[in-house]
Amino acid sequence: MTELKPLEWLKHAITHPFEGFEDMRWKKAGSLKIAFFIVFLLFISQIAEERLYGFQFYISYDKIFNIVPFIMKSVVIFAAWTIGNRAVCTFLDGEGTLRNICIYSAYAFVPYIAQSFINTLLSHILIRDEFVFMEAIRITGVCWTIMLLFSAVKAVHQYSFKQTIFAAIFTVAAMLIMLFLLVLFMSLIQQIYLFISTVYMEISYRLRS
Amino acid sequence: MIKKIIAAYISAACIMSGMLAVTAYAEPYEVYNYDRWNDPIPSQAGYTAERSVSGNNLGAGKMNSPSDIFYGADGLFYIVDSGNNRIIAVDENFTKAVKIYDSFIMPDGSETSLKTPMGIFISADNNMYIADSENSRVLVSDTDGNIIKEITKPESEIFDQKRTFTPLRVIADKAGNVYVVLNNITTGVAMFAPDGEFMGFYGANRVQPTSEIISDHLAGLFMSEEKRARRVRNVPSGVTSFDIDGDFIFTCTSSSTQTTDTVKKLNAAGNNIFANMELNFGDYTPVYDTTRNKLLAPSIVDIDIAEDGNINCLDFTTGRIFQYDEDCNLLFITGTIAKQVGGFDHAAALESHGDKLYVADSMKNTVTIFTETDFGAVVHKASALHNGGYYDEALEPWREVLRRDGNYRRANLGVALALLRQGDYQGAMKYAKLANAGSVYDKAFEGYRMELIRENFGTFVLAAAIIAAAAAIIRRKLKKQGDSRSKKY
Repeated sequence: MTELKPLEWLKHAITHPFEGFEDMRWKKAGSLKIAFFIVFLLFISQIAEERLYGFQFYISYDKIFNIVPFIMKSVVIFAAWTIGNRAVCTFLDGEGTLRNICIYSAYAFVPYIAQSFINTLLSHILIRDEFVFMEAIRITGVCWTIMLLFSAVKAVHQYSFKQTIFAAIFTVAAMLIMLFLLVLFMSLIQQIYLFISTVYMEISYRLRS
Repeated sequence: MIKKIIAAYISAACIMSGMLAVTAYAEPYEVYNYDRWNDPIPSQAGYTAERSVSGNNLGAGKMNSPSDIFYGADGLFYIVDSGNNRIIAVDENFTKAVKIYDSFIMPDGSETSLKTPMGIFISADNNMYIADSENSRVLVSDTDGNIIKEITKPESEIFDQKRTFTPLRVIADKAGNVYVVLNNITTGVAMFAPDGEFMGFYGANRVQPTSEIISDHLAGLFMSEEKRARRVRNVPSGVTSFDIDGDFIFTCTSSSTQTTDTVKKLNAAGNNIFANMELNFGDYTPVYDTTRNKLLAPSIVDIDIAEDGNINCLDFTTGRIFQYDEDCNLLFITGTIAKQVGGFDHAAALESHGDKLYVADSMKNTVTIFTETDFGAVVHKASALHNGGYYDEALEPWREVLRRDGNYRRANLGVALALLRQGDYQGAMKYAKLANAGSVYDKAFEGYRMELIRENFGTFVLAAAIIAAAAAIIRRKLKKQGDSRSKKY
C-alpha cells in the first residue's frame, strides 16, 4: 500500500468496499474536514432533489422554502447515526472512536450523494418513459452506500459479520430513541416556555390593573 | 334652503342607487378557486345569483321544503314540493307555475295523491317518473297526470324484505330502464326493467380502505362467531343522488366521513370510470368554520350534468356548487351558506339549463337562479371547444380567460395542450408548468428535446468527440504518472 493523499484515500475507500476501510484504519487515514464537507454535500443534494428536479418527474411546492426539514434529513440524521453508533458500540466491544465513525460513515455516503446529483441532472434530460435509467442509478447508489456503511462499521469497530448486523440494528434503534427524546425535550421546553409566559402575563395584567 | 336639501337628498339617493347597482353584481361571499397547488385563491365569479323565486312568486302558494328540481324536454321545470305533496311545473323563464300536480289518475280510474315525493325525472318521451317516498312507490305518469305504471317494493330474493322501500331519487335511461335511489340501501341503486320488473342493484359504492377497517378485519380473524355478529359492520355509504347523461350515470354520495366514490361516472355495466383516477370533489381541505366551531367536510347531495357535459356538484355543508368540466378539472365554485340571495340554508337540489343554474333550498323554500357571468361565458366557451377536440380553436378563448384571471389553472392547462398540439413545445412547457400538469410537460419536453437534438446534431457529435478525446488524453497522462510512481517505490 502506497502513501495516498486524503482525497485519494476517499477514492480508495469508495472503490474498495471490502478492504478499503480496513486499509484506512491500518494507515490511520481519513480527514474530518472532508467528512464534514461530504455531510454538507449531502445537505445540498437533499435540497437539489427537492427544488431542482425536472418538472416532468417531480413538482415541488415552491411557494415557500423551509430549510429545517433539509437539515433534519441530512445533518441531524447523520449526527444521530454517528452518536448512536458510538453509544451502542462502546457496549458491544467496538474499537471505533467518535472521530473515526464520523469519517468512515461520511465517506460511505458519497455514492448516495453522487446518485442524487446525477439523477437531478438526468431529470432535466430524460422523459418519463426513460425513468428506468434514473431508477437504476438510484438503486445502485443506495445499495453501494449501504454496503460501504456496513463495511465502515465493520472496519471501524473490528467486528465480525454477525456483530456488524447487530450493531447496525441497535444503532437504528438508538437513533429512533434519540430522536424521540429530542422531540419530547422540545415539546417539554415549549410547555415550560408557555407556562412561564402565561404566569408572566398574568402577573403583568394584575400589576397593571 | 329646501331646494338645497332636496338636491342633496336626490344626489345621495343617486349615489345609494349606484352602490346598489354595484352590489347587485357582487356575491355575498368571497369568490375563490384553487390554484395549481390546490391552495384556495381569490378568483372571478363564474356565476352570479340573479334572483331567488318562492312559491308565491310563481303564483303557486308557498312551497314547503322543495327537494328536487328537473328541467324536462318539454321546456318546463318540475319542482318537487315535498311538504305540500305536489309537483309544480314552471315555465322556462321561471315566472309562473304552468301546472300543479297534486293528484294522479290510476289506470283503473281511481285517484291517488302523493305523500312526501322526493325526486322527479322527465324522460325524453315526456313521461314523469316520481319517487313517491312515503307511499313506497315510484310512479310513471304522462304529463296529464295519468299513471302508466307503478313500481313498488320488489318481491325478489336479492332485495332484503326486511328493508323498507323508500325511493328518494329516480331516473330512466333511453331504453326505459328505471333507476331508483332508495333510502338506507347501501348496495347501490335499484334497477327496474321498462315493464317494472326488479333487475338488481347497480353501481354500489366501495368501502373506503381506512386503517380502521383493516385493523377491524385483522381483529375479526380472532373473534368468536357471537362477537363477530355484534360488531359494527363496515358498509359503504349509499348513493345520495344521480343524474344521467347519455349512456353514463353520475352518482354522488353525501357521507361526510367517506372520501372514496363521492362522485362516480358509471357506464352501462355499472363500472366506475372515475375509480382509478385521483380525483377530488368539493373543497380540498375541510374548511374550518369559526362561527360554528366545525370542520366542514364536503357532503355532495346532488349532482347535475349540464348540456355541455360539465359536472355540477352541490355541496350541502358549505352551500357551494362545484362545477367541473368533463375531465373533472375544477371550473367554478359558486354559492355559500347565507341569508342573502346567492346563499343557501339547506341546499337540496340542483339543475342546470343553458347558461343558468337552479338550486332548490328546502329551508328557504325557494329556488335560486344563477346566471353565467361574462367570465363564466368565456371559460365555458373555451371548455366546450376543448372538450369537442377543437384545441386550436380553444387557444384564443383560453388566452382571454388568462387575461382576465392569470391564476386560472384550467386555462393554463388548455393553453398548454393547444400549444402542444400546434408543436410549440417551449410554450407548452411554460404553460404546463403553470398548470402543474406533469404529464403534459413530459410530452412537450419530449418534443422539445427531439427538436433540439435534430437541430444541433452536429454540435452534439462534436462535443462528444471532444469529450472522448480529452478523456483519452487525461487517462494516458494518469497512466504515465502511475507508472513513474510505481517505479519510485
